[in-house]
Amino acid sequence: MDMKKQKNVFYLCISVISVAAVIALWYFLINVMHLKSETVFPGPLKVFYTFLQKLQTKAPDGATLQAHLWASIKVAVLGYGLGALVGVPLGIAMAWNKWVDRFVRPLFDLIRPIPGLAWIPMFILLFGIGITSKALVIFLGSLIACVVNSYTGIRQTKETHLWVGDVFGATSGQKLFRIAIPTALPMIFTGLRVALGTAWTALVAAELLASTKGLGYMIQQARAISRPDIIIVGMLAIGAVGAVFDAVLHLVEIKVAKGMNAK
Amino acid sequence: MSMEQERKLKNGNLIECTNVCKAFETPEGEYQVVKDFNLETRENEFLVLFGPGQCGKTTIINMIAGFERVTGGSIKSQGKEISKPDPSRGVVFQSTALFPWMTTMGNVEYGLKMAGNKKAEREKRAQKYIDLVGLQGFEKAFPVKLSGGMKQRVGIARAYCNEPEVMLMDEPFGALDAQTRYLMQEELQRIWEAEKRTVIFVTNNIEEALYLADRILVLTNCPATVKKEYVIDLPRPRNLVSPEFLALRKEITGIMDSTL
Amino acid sequence: MIKKKNISDKTINVACACISIGAFLFLWYWGTAFTKLGMLIPGPVEVLETVTAGFFGKVGRHSILVHVGYSMIRVMIGFIVGSVFGIVLGLLMGWYRIAEAIFNPLFRIIRPIPPIAWIPISIIWFGLGENAKIFLIFLASFSNTTLNSMAGAKNVDREVVNAAKMLGANERQIFTTIVLPASVPSIFAGLQVAISSSWATVLAAEMVRSSEGLGWMIVAGMNNNDMLQILSGIVMIGVVGFILAIIMRKAEDILCRWNKSGN
Repeated sequence: MDMKKQKNVFYLCISVISVAAVIALWYFLINVMHLKSETVFPGPLKVFYTFLQKLQTKAPDGATLQAHLWASIKVAVLGYGLGALVGVPLGIAMAWNKWVDRFVRPLFDLIRPIPGLAWIPMFILLFGIGITSKALVIFLGSLIACVVNSYTGIRQTKETHLWVGDVFGATSGQKLFRIAIPTALPMIFTGLRVALGTAWTALVAAELLASTKGLGYMIQQARAISRPDIIIVGMLAIGAVGAVFDAVLHLVEIKVAKGMNAK
Repeated sequence: MSMEQERKLKNGNLIECTNVCKAFETPEGEYQVVKDFNLETRENEFLVLFGPGQCGKTTIINMIAGFERVTGGSIKSQGKEISKPDPSRGVVFQSTALFPWMTTMGNVEYGLKMAGNKKAEREKRAQKYIDLVGLQGFEKAFPVKLSGGMKQRVGIARAYCNEPEVMLMDEPFGALDAQTRYLMQEELQRIWEAEKRTVIFVTNNIEEALYLADRILVLTNCPATVKKEYVIDLPRPRNLVSPEFLALRKEITGIMDSTL
Repeated sequence: MIKKKNISDKTINVACACISIGAFLFLWYWGTAFTKLGMLIPGPVEVLETVTAGFFGKVGRHSILVHVGYSMIRVMIGFIVGSVFGIVLGLLMGWYRIAEAIFNPLFRIIRPIPPIAWIPISIIWFGLGENAKIFLIFLASFSNTTLNSMAGAKNVDREVVNAAKMLGANERQIFTTIVLPASVPSIFAGLQVAISSSWATVLAAEMVRSSEGLGWMIVAGMNNNDMLQILSGIVMIGVVGFILAIIMRKAEDILCRWNKSGN
């Protein structure tokens, strides 16, 4: 046991050293060797200062980092929430009822190979660059992931388990809610997490193309005026929010799965 | 010098276990799986480790194979302490552990390929063992296409093809249905008669033990240790319903029950 | 008896698919031909005409096929380089604890940043040419394949590894003859995600900055208020996405033959 603990500590040290070494190398190459100008590749210190500064000042893109962050999260949650609310039940219905499957799946298969962000130009022309078109793009992207995974999850239900339900006289509804959905739960959550990733990506794309606020807009503006330090701050913020969302969903998944098992 | 002669020269104890102990660390403290286990193999004998339940026997085989380390005592192979797996000790796994992405031929010739043998040579040698286990015509089949018994034949041929000095078999027929199991026992006996090796065979099936063994070590349940030794000198192939067979079966089953 | 039922089942499926797609096309046609919607969206017949015209004539400076070709070449180069890197790094991280300790923390910082968020910085670093786009697609395929290859190498059956050791394989041989092939199904799962992510990324990159490719086609449509061009671009995007998915599935069928029971 002690050996194992010692090993874990050893590997943890290596991880810390590895990250520190990369940052040191970054600093050395940019700030000591001046291999690249800081207007192309800013050093770590500059990125950190820009981060602190961006929390307070609205220049150069008209809003603080928090304001951009909040604008992005609002749109993402709206579009994603709608996508999940429609996608999960639709996927379940398609897998559970063969007539829904027969009529809806062909249409679904038609739009499935089209990446959500390919709809951006069309939605912008139809609805302008406001929240509607962005939310719609995210809605489509997360809808597809939710449907595919919920569908697969329900289809994994073992026939024998349904037969057990039949033996005990379960109604069709009981079989769906007590047997099929609990079986599908892990897959449904996989879908929700994949959808979140897609939603966040689609949002950034939409903001890059046409927007007046949001993290994607911020990094696009920073590019126009050649401020790579702001771009890197923005990218790290985008990554951090994505990671936090994913972690939260993972926690919910553990809680829900536990609740299901306890029943 | 041929392999056969070489093996004869090294007369004596191929595998020697002295006071072997194995304990695992668990959150509840130390868990003793094997305790003071002793064993000596004799040349070309079929030695069966017979014991109840799941624990202990597999661990012993894994330690002799070199997959796991002892926590007390020592295991020697021809006088040398065992520290890692070695081609001189072939293993047949209960789960077969075949390489699913390789065909029968690929699985059987794997050991020779790793040792750097030429393709023509290793295919010739592999073919010999594929024929020996009766899998002619299935050389190009992937394991998913084979039945349980056939997979285990591949496992036996794969271990044999490296021409090991000892064969370790960990409940190789444990996952098979009864009919196939009988068939495979007969087949194993035939293969062993054709290619004599020292075999250490683990089972929890008394009939299987009595049908195959020259010598049976009856083990206790967790921690595993040798409870009693039987030398079986019934003529082969053995008659499963002869009075001697049934008497032995009754006796061993009797002492087993008392250990539970 | 059973056979007969199967055939009729299939016929019903096809009939339902025809009905639902037919209904969709009819609604689209009817809506655009006889209601105000026609002012905003062109009908299916016009879109089909534009696509066919685009094959022989020109959209912008090239025919549609040339645009497809531009997008495909970018995807292929980035995808191949990215997945080779991803597979190697992922397998190393999954198999050798020390490699995991060194690279995983860095990977975990980079991974949550969507490839699309790299667009502005890649333009600053690589300029407006092909390199920036290929770099982005490299990122898109790299992170997905790394993740799945790592999971694959971590889940290699210990007993199979023991079998290889028992047969005399050394460390290097175990890595190349056991860990690599055993991870192939999992690697392919990653490649599937990687190809669709690469496809989405190339579109985004072309939408932000390009003068050819399908992404350019739809964004130029947006700028010229040309809904027909956008819709025909989307149709082509769907077709190519579909073909890419099929190719990946076929490749998987061939390489993972050993993993499938049945014929």
